[in-house]
Amino acid sequence: MSKKPTAGPALHKVIMVGSGGVGKSALTLQFMYDEFVEDYEPTKADSYRKKVVLDGEEVQIDILDTAGQEDYAAIRDNYFRSGEGFLCVFSITDDESFQATQEFREQILRVKNDESIPFLLVGNKCDLNDKRKVPLSECQLRAQQWAVPYVETSAKTRENVDKVFFDLMREIRSRKTEDSKATSGRAKDRCKKRRLKCTLL
Amino acid sequence: MDFDSPEEKEFPGLYASEAADARSKKSKEESDFSEDHEPSKKDLLIGRRKDKKEKGKDRGYAALEGESSPEEELDTKSPSKSKKSKTFKFTSSKSKEKREKSRDKSERDSKHADDEPGPSSKAKDREKDKDKERDEPKKKDKEDKRKDKEKDKKSDKKDKKDKKSKQLSQQQDETSAAEEVLALGYPVFGVSVSLATERSRCHDGVDIPLVVRDCIDFLQDHLKCEQIYKIEPIKTRLMHYKRLYNNREHDSAVDELNLPTACSLLKLFLRELPEPLLTTDLVARFEEVASHPKVTTQQAELQQLLDQLPKCNRTVLAWVLLHFDAVIQQERHNKLNAQSLAMLLSPTLQMSHRLMVALLIHCNNLFPDVKLIKYVPPLTSASPKLPDTPEDIQTELRKQDSLLNQIHSEMNAGFITKKREEQLWEVQRIITQLKRKLRTFEKKQEKSVEELDNSSTAPSTIVNEDTTDSKAEVTPVPSTSNSICTEEPKTEEPSSKDLPIDFSIDPATGFILLPKSNPHRDNLLRLQIEYDELMDWQNELKARIVAERNEVYRLKQLYEQQSMNSQMAALAAGSQAPPESDYERIIEHYTRENALLEHKKNMLGMELKEERRACIALQVELRLQQF
Repeated sequence: MSKKPTAGPALHKVIMVGSGGVGKSALTLQFMYDEFVEDYEPTKADSYRKKVVLDGEEVQIDILDTAGQEDYAAIRDNYFRSGEGFLCVFSITDDESFQATQEFREQILRVKNDESIPFLLVGNKCDLNDKRKVPLSECQLRAQQWAVPYVETSAKTRENVDKVFFDLMREIRSRKTEDSKATSGRAKDRCKKRRLKCTLL
Repeated sequence: MDFDSPEEKEFPGLYASEAADARSKKSKEESDFSEDHEPSKKDLLIGRRKDKKEKGKDRGYAALEGESSPEEELDTKSPSKSKKSKTFKFTSSKSKEKREKSRDKSERDSKHADDEPGPSSKAKDREKDKDKERDEPKKKDKEDKRKDKEKDKKSDKKDKKDKKSKQLSQQQDETSAAEEVLALGYPVFGVSVSLATERSRCHDGVDIPLVVRDCIDFLQDHLKCEQIYKIEPIKTRLMHYKRLYNNREHDSAVDELNLPTACSLLKLFLRELPEPLLTTDLVARFEEVASHPKVTTQQAELQQLLDQLPKCNRTVLAWVLLHFDAVIQQERHNKLNAQSLAMLLSPTLQMSHRLMVALLIHCNNLFPDVKLIKYVPPLTSASPKLPDTPEDIQTELRKQDSLLNQIHSEMNAGFITKKREEQLWEVQRIITQLKRKLRTFEKKQEKSVEELDNSSTAPSTIVNEDTTDSKAEVTPVPSTSNSICTEEPKTEEPSSKDLPIDFSIDPATGFILLPKSNPHRDNLLRLQIEYDELMDWQNELKARIVAERNEVYRLKQLYEQQSMNSQMAALAAGSQAPPESDYERIIEHYTRENALLEHKKNMLGMELKEERRACIALQVELRLQQF
């Protein structure tokens, strides 16, 4: 993937998924512009880029905010394919949004075909703890099953907003270094194979 | 892995010609994006097999008929003729075929290596998928590649050899970017006009292929140049541009055309169309009309035929002809008139000299709806900055949306590359930025409207200049709430008091009438009448409010009575009350309904107000007539 060292800072591509109205856009806008939008406006797809300093290194983050609604599923796959890490968001005040995460997870795995893709389960709206419908233990259990971290956030109070993005970027970064090692090793292997074939011919 | 049956191997052209022909026809007829294209493994293998053969065959006749003129090229598409050429292939170009075969083999081997089910690590699987995706467009690309080669052969063999060796080296290194470029499918050249338009869209609503648009745009700026349509470009350069457009990688900021290339690229596109621009069905009738001696009826007849053309063909034809017309308008500079230009270009357009001249003569009347507008492509991240006015943002947003849709549909159809994905994110980002910008504009506007609203409810400052109307109309701004009653229409009456003594008072209405010579007469009169009307309205509304209040009072009394009654009734029928949940549902239902009705009422109220204002304006005009 990133064989050639690119001139600019490293670019990590993050995709927000989750049901409608759970706060994907709110999280994104809070992270991007430190603003909290109260009124709900369904997203079709939005994309943002930001320069951040990740552990002392300047990197760029591309955030793609997707539609929660099924209506845009056709274009969603195109985005999923190019995503490097996923924030799977649900609202702790809405059990159905939590149930829906299962489906999103499956969709991502189907497109990416990779169980260990950088992925965070995010329970949003933790400022509304009194209206909580999804018990913490259940969330943690699911995260454990998927072997992914679970974080609770509040786009309103900005709690853990930076954390989820930065944690995900760290995962993506370590994943990339792993990958580049692996591919360079395998590329050599393949070269050998091919050479062998050629001499046979 | 290789499913070739033995007899096919021995006679590589046995089934290929028909199959390939049918396939190529299909690929031309069908839209890429009509369905989601999920290539099955079997399809891929079959495709690969066919490709091999097709290439072998095509190379054969390409070598033979490389020099053929466009018309003949078309003919070779019939199966019988291609069969004929096949027999030549074995005798004439054996060595070439050998080379080709060995190349194919190495290609196949390299694919074998990839497809081999190795240790099933996930990363490998992913790579495999990528290969699959790449192979799929390859199928369709073959045709185009062949044409590329054909052209190369025509130009110079040396170049071809270079390319070939390049291709070989590329196959060895599959991960190289160059390979990706070649592997892309969905060419723009050599496909029907409708497909080319769909694949290479201009995103500003003009439906012609981008390559045609770019060439014409460029040439329109160089009409006075004497070289126009006379000089041939460097072939490699021409092919470079063709490849760029085929792969949608053309970036007008980076790859600027030059005159000979633009001319030839346009010609190349037209020449490679699988059927004439005027369509195979209609071209004969066009020719018939062109041979007509009567010039007067000719135009109407041409018009009638043009209306039968597919829309995309008509648009391309219009652009091309209007451009040519612009060229001959500059005859003084470029020394080209209708006759000489038709001499140069009628073969490219696959029409007779006479027909082209006829079309050129009438083109301005035939296409009054078409204007050559220079294309401003959608912004990229490299563009300096986003537009500033809401209108510009809207226009740009439309372009970006069109671009985004195209990318999505192409990706859904399997046209997936790294570059394409990057572009997808970039376009999405620009759209987001544009939308945010638009939203801030809207917010600002809302704010100012709100401010106005607030000021209108304050009784002293109701006067508001309606800037949209040319007349100096003074109207109260309607507040969005229902509290219309607080409005206190007030005109600039005090000013009339300061006027010079020279006026009379209309006895019937009490209006101040200035002498006819006074320039303010009409204005003042209008204002007074308006004031009158508005006062009427106000009184009417006030009366209505009083009526409403009375009604409220009446209903209240009624309610008190009823509630007493219902309490008694409830006591009587208490046991039969439906369960709690039902009530909740009903309550929910009615609150929803009521909210909806409330909204509707507000909307109607607004509309009513608007209508009323229009009425008043008209009334004023009417009464003004009386003076």
